[in-house]
Amino acid sequence: MIDMQLLISGIIFGLSLGGIFFLMTIGLSLCFGLMRIISLDQLLYYSIGGYITYSVSLAVGNIWLGVLGGVIVGGLAALAVERIVFRRIYDRDLPFTMITSFGVLIGGVGVIKYFWGLVPRPVPVPIDAQVFIIGTEIPVYRLVIIGIAGLVYVGIWLFLNRTIIGKAIRAGTEDVEHVEGLGINVYRLFTITFVIAGGLSGLAGGLHAPLIMVDPNMGLEVLAFVFMVVIIGGLGSIKGTLVSSFLVGQVVSIGSLIYAPLAQMAPFAIMLLILLIRPTGLFGSQMLKR
Amino acid sequence: MTNNDDILTVAGLNVAYGESKALFDVSMSVRASQVVACVGRNGAGKSTLLKSITGFLKPTSGSIVSNGTSLVGLAAFVIAGKGIKYIPQDKKVFSDLTVRENLELGSYASQDYDWAPVFDYFPKLKVLMDRKAGYLSGGERQMLMVGRAILGQPKLLLVDEPTEGLAPSIVMHLRDVFKELAKKTALVIVEQNLPLVCAIADKVYALKEGRIMAELTDRASIKPEACEKYL
Repeated sequence: MIDMQLLISGIIFGLSLGGIFFLMTIGLSLCFGLMRIISLDQLLYYSIGGYITYSVSLAVGNIWLGVLGGVIVGGLAALAVERIVFRRIYDRDLPFTMITSFGVLIGGVGVIKYFWGLVPRPVPVPIDAQVFIIGTEIPVYRLVIIGIAGLVYVGIWLFLNRTIIGKAIRAGTEDVEHVEGLGINVYRLFTITFVIAGGLSGLAGGLHAPLIMVDPNMGLEVLAFVFMVVIIGGLGSIKGTLVSSFLVGQVVSIGSLIYAPLAQMAPFAIMLLILLIRPTGLFGSQMLKR
Repeated sequence: MTNNDDILTVAGLNVAYGESKALFDVSMSVRASQVVACVGRNGAGKSTLLKSITGFLKPTSGSIVSNGTSLVGLAAFVIAGKGIKYIPQDKKVFSDLTVRENLELGSYASQDYDWAPVFDYFPKLKVLMDRKAGYLSGGERQMLMVGRAILGQPKLLLVDEPTEGLAPSIVMHLRDVFKELAKKTALVIVEQNLPLVCAIADKVYALKEGRIMAELTDRASIKPEACEKYL
């Protein structure tokens, strides 16, 4: 039997982990939805976000400025990769673009090693305060992460549903050729989507950095979880990504309270179960064609 | 040969899907406010022709010229921006978006937000504005697709099998709309419904196995039995 306080703490930790997973995978989901590419390079922007947070906070002493820097540099790195690499290969098939994006990730990890070295670097937690929730001490920073993830979801929802660019992106997830046929520059939509995705991945890395040590392989270390989140939620679905992120976050957090190895195993078991029942994921589209 | 009155001239067009050739030396011309129909059996190359003109397929050789500008090699959105709009056969609207949002996207590139002409042609769309397009019937979807395409006052509309699978009353309505549209816009219609073709077309190209078999330019000669010969 799990102690009540431990359970509450586990749920909050799971929610904050889910928030990080959500920010990490939403870019991947948007890119697949519109461009039909599996953009594993998003994990590079996640790492870049972590490292920029580390460097900026070290230089100016403000971690939030570091996180902001991570968002900006993550977005700019995504812009450069989209312009230099992906714009040339949008017409290629899914495995080709996925392998290319993995190549960008591996190459980027090499660049990170060159600039920051191999040694993991600590980033201080920006908020030390704790609050009591039903008698359980909870770090405020964890609650802030949950809040930011919620705000990002609302922001993305408003962007996709209230702006014409967002509506064009939603339309493009259904049929990008029809959008182009209306005279809309879909390549501009691709760039906007990529930059937003890169910025959000950078945000995930920046917010996660104080909870882990930043190290060159931090993107590769979360690769399995990212796959699980997008497969469970359904590629291309924002709602699916949100639900799946928090589900995996809870399974990892609560699972580790029950029996430590469960934290690693249980999400895989859930993913397999969902793949058996619903191969396109909880909210995935049935139309996985360009 | 390009005629000054032509808003579209296709000459010696060859198109292939990989190793498989789909169009062989196709030539055609469209003048302003002209209704040109392309008839032929399935696989004759009619849709391939429209997709090549609108930039969705790259020709292996030949020329496509509109008002003195070559369209070959231009992106589809650039061609649409020049007022050459394509209404595909699949009747695929953006199903997760409302009718209003679908029209907004039609207006976005041209910044033409005057929807009055759309509602004049299709009053029914006005009452369906907040309905998700995925819940529309086949006829309503076709209305939305035509309505979306005519925003921005295109100079040429290319319409692929607009009446396929639609109820006769809707087909009649679309026929009237196309007749009305032709007063302002040139139309190229791919259609297997020969009575409809003969009712509205000023010129007919009959295609077979990727080649133009006949060009009927005399209005009096455009009759179902004349077109059927080439199918």
